[in-house]
Amino acid sequence: MRGSWTARLALPVLATAGTCARAAAPARVPSALDGQPVAQVLVLLGCVFLLAAAVGLVRFPDVYTRLHAATKLVTLGGLGIFTGAGIAFYPVDGTPRVLLIAGFFFLTAPLSGYMIARSAYLRGLPWFQEEGSVDDWGALGSEAQVSAEER
Amino acid sequence: MVIDIAIVSLAISGVLATYRVLRGPTWGDRVTAFDFLTVNLAVMVVVAALRTGFTPLLDAALIISILGFLSTVALARYLLLGRVMR
Repeated sequence: MRGSWTARLALPVLATAGTCARAAAPARVPSALDGQPVAQVLVLLGCVFLLAAAVGLVRFPDVYTRLHAATKLVTLGGLGIFTGAGIAFYPVDGTPRVLLIAGFFFLTAPLSGYMIARSAYLRGLPWFQEEGSVDDWGALGSEAQVSAEER
Repeated sequence: MVIDIAIVSLAISGVLATYRVLRGPTWGDRVTAFDFLTVNLAVMVVVAALRTGFTPLLDAALIISILGFLSTVALARYLLLGRVMR
């Protein structure tokens, strides 16, 4: 008898398993980012910015500091990803649409953050106070502004 | 490879922002995290278009971006004034 019984049993099983794994693994679909280092760097940078914005959204103590994270970092990150997609789609017809999204996004993301911060401040949401915190706008504050807007 | 890292990091940031939406102590935190989630969704759709090369998804990303901005502004105005329009 050539070889032990474990080898005679195990080798066909392993070979069959390997064949099945190779057959079951999906074929690698080429993405639009392959072989485009500038677009890859831009998309990675945008994802890093978005992840940092999410971490700041969880970790910061206050509505206003969370807005600080979620407005500036989201603007930069989304702009990076959209510009990277525009570069990656360049030979195909996707580029004008992605650049349209990027321009619209660059205009509107700070604006929505401003709207949230304005209504939060005028409605008097509490902020994180420590030693020496000063509200520079204090006397002009919440209710008078809201009633002036309602008129 | 790069695009797999992008997909995973976008998923993680979506989970973190969902935690802030559910947990947020005030409505300002919830609206902020909701705005972040809409932007994250638009970016995820663009990354899916990059992954598959299916460019009509970009129209969906544009619509999601516009709707996210409009809903954020409407929420902020409603929470400030009690109404959206005059």
